[in-house]
Amino acid sequence: MSTMRRVVVTGIGVICPIGIGSAAFWENLVGGKIGVRRISAFDPSGFPSQIAGEVPAYKIGDYVPKSYRKATKVMARDIELAVVAADDAFKDAGLKSKAYTETPDFDGKRFGCNIGAGLISVDLNELTVALHSARNGDQLDLRKWGGEGMTQLTPLWLLKYLPNMLACHVTIIHQLKGPSNTITCADASSHLAIGEAFRTIQRGDADLAVCGGAESKVQPMGLMRQCLLNRVSTKHNETPESAVRPFDVDATGTAVGEGAGLFILEEFEHAKRRGAKIYAELAGFGATQDTYNVSQPSPTGDSYGRAISLALIDANLPPASVDLLVPCGLGIASHDRAELNGLTTVFGGGLSRIPLFPLKSRTGNLAAGSGVDAAAAVLSLHHNKIPAALNTGKIIGGLSLNNAAEARDAAINIAVSSVYSLGGQNAALVFRKPAKEAS
Amino acid sequence: MKRVVITGMGWVTPMGQDIETVWRRLLAGESGIDFTTLFDAATFPTTISAEVKDFDFSAHVARSADHGGAGRNTQFALAACAQAWRSAGLGEAKLDLDRVGMYLAGGEGELDFDAYTNAALSAWSVESNSVDTVKWATVAMQRMSAVRELEQEPNMALSHLALLSGARGPAFNCLTACAASTQAIGEATQILRRGDADVMIGGGTHSMIHPFGVTGFNRLTALSTANGDPPRASRPFDAQRGGFVLGEGAGIVILETLDHAKARGATILAEVAGYGSTADAFRITDQHPEGEGAIGAMRAALADARLTSADIHYVNAHGTGTRENDGNETTAIKHVLGERAKECPVSSIKSMMGHLIAAAGAVELITCVLAIRDNMLPPTVNLQHADPECDLDYVPNKARAARVDTALSNSFGFGGQNDSIIVRRYLGE
Repeated sequence: MSTMRRVVVTGIGVICPIGIGSAAFWENLVGGKIGVRRISAFDPSGFPSQIAGEVPAYKIGDYVPKSYRKATKVMARDIELAVVAADDAFKDAGLKSKAYTETPDFDGKRFGCNIGAGLISVDLNELTVALHSARNGDQLDLRKWGGEGMTQLTPLWLLKYLPNMLACHVTIIHQLKGPSNTITCADASSHLAIGEAFRTIQRGDADLAVCGGAESKVQPMGLMRQCLLNRVSTKHNETPESAVRPFDVDATGTAVGEGAGLFILEEFEHAKRRGAKIYAELAGFGATQDTYNVSQPSPTGDSYGRAISLALIDANLPPASVDLLVPCGLGIASHDRAELNGLTTVFGGGLSRIPLFPLKSRTGNLAAGSGVDAAAAVLSLHHNKIPAALNTGKIIGGLSLNNAAEARDAAINIAVSSVYSLGGQNAALVFRKPAKEAS
Repeated sequence: MKRVVITGMGWVTPMGQDIETVWRRLLAGESGIDFTTLFDAATFPTTISAEVKDFDFSAHVARSADHGGAGRNTQFALAACAQAWRSAGLGEAKLDLDRVGMYLAGGEGELDFDAYTNAALSAWSVESNSVDTVKWATVAMQRMSAVRELEQEPNMALSHLALLSGARGPAFNCLTACAASTQAIGEATQILRRGDADVMIGGGTHSMIHPFGVTGFNRLTALSTANGDPPRASRPFDAQRGGFVLGEGAGIVILETLDHAKARGATILAEVAGYGSTADAFRITDQHPEGEGAIGAMRAALADARLTSADIHYVNAHGTGTRENDGNETTAIKHVLGERAKECPVSSIKSMMGHLIAAAGAVELITCVLAIRDNMLPPTVNLQHADPECDLDYVPNKARAARVDTALSNSFGFGGQNDSIIVRRYLGE
């Protein structure tokens, strides 16, 4: 469709284990930094897996307008991460929202917000201090709880944990009144949210959108769930930096992580008019569903591959044109094998020629915050540089992948970021260097 | 742009578990609200709710064993989807499953309550006033199960629907609180219009009738505490309204491009004409007092449908029965419908069914389709005391026959999420 509005990335906001702010993130990505460490947020020594991609210390008050500081009291960590990344994205895009000025330089009604979120875990201490007041031995006495017990909780307790609160706080802080949605498809949430924002701008329902996702699993419940599901490595508690080994024969599981990755997407003419910096054009999006099992990807990886193929078709590009692939690369052996099978259905023998950069060795699995993976793809394309695929050495299945242990320069015109979720939702995004006329 | 129609519907609600029974009961002005039995709520500020009663999962889903670990809300979604799939005649249809997608508003699953509270309490350290995470981990590893934890993820109902239907197309779950399933069906429509799928399973499912769900809403003072007379507790637009009544359930519709529906000879129940979505960007706790976002959503839906306010024959209100919503929504409807507002019937089935949260929009959209089919308006029951703030025709207490060709359904969520969707009678091309 030649009349279709084009959509470009004009801002990138990141908070993740290797950097707060997209500039720091990129610097550390190229510098070979790994953010997977022994957990410091709580004592993890009772857990089978004791490591995580933990975000460095920050003060949420530094990332919201003074008038909004009180509201940070009702932000779960997932919400904070989204708020920090949104602040970074707006500043990076040079957009003066209501957070920074009384006279914003855009129409809030034409600005959408699609932020993916996970299952937000209740703060254990906050809840348990209240439960403790209504206990009967080691059980909760519901009669006591329903009477006095629950009154220990702050009245707004529920609102800390609703997944749509990420988008709600961001829309309030920046005064965004356009279409807003919250995608909750686990690890695929960010990519699906970005894809949906892309369509919203394409069809003309908005000119701008902040989109991506955020999540933290670096808390007891989040970590416990991944331990119970046998998804996280228990073999690297003493050697966390080498724990997450995407596609490596010695992969022993992934690590939980936390972070947020958000883009400012903008209609191309709108971006040109205001002289915005254009990182990339978002050229294609594809989404599919696996029907194999709710907890395991199909070993064939076929539905995952189909999402990437659909995204390439949407971008009107052949698979061979891809210059960089940021795959899901969890570091779970059976999953990685399935992923490689899926990638092979798309790229065939060409797969060994396409540079591959799996991010998760650096950050752990950011789950709904995997917009950071997409940010890595766009920054690589923008800087014409591929970061080192650390911990990916000897490849499973005897395949040869085009990964490198050092960052390298490369001309990148087309970059793909693809994910699949625990639950079988697949999504892929295709980014293209802005055309000459675009800049 | 492709036209989008509805060809199948199914629901599991506090008033029944098949389309016709529930519709009959809604028109009769009955109530699904009673004392809470799913847990011991005796001392809670609110002891009533609208529960799905006598739910037999295996009676709805033939291969129920495929969904062994499915939580309550996932089972509701599967049951509603099985109904919708059957009613659309998709069992017999030749489908390209790569072109069948899903857009669900699935709520999070219920906590494994006993294991969760037991782990927390046995690891509580009075000295440090915090949970001893080492001890907690030991108890949690013993008491919690992988399946029960996984099934709490909000995408699990969606993932189970994929197993049930075989749908391999685009799949999304959204969770925008009480607006979620209107949004899901609206976004599913956009996917079909663009040609990214031929068929979409759309809708929502949710159950928050559990101790922490009720705790959360009670702390917000959002729930009615009129515990004495459950069927009278939900009073949208009434002067004595005092909050909503928590319900549970699922509503699923089969959406299809008109071309695809016609090609396979499907019965077309209604057409999705328009959809609009906005954010209030006001406060996390309160709606915009002038209903700015709600007005924006209704207007966007009208513009999307290329209709004017004069074309709307019925508004299915969000109508929660909270003091704030019903006044604001009335203001917003008056803004959008202008002079016609007083003539246009508006009703809230939450007066009978309670508030199904993420599933509310879906069951209300299905209600709109049935209103169009039968030219019948479901009532707002318990409307006995006039509120000067609420001065529209709410179809008080008794169902009414009326010509309904076009209906608009509103859903508004905590945090300022506003969605409106318009369905109309399908009259051919």
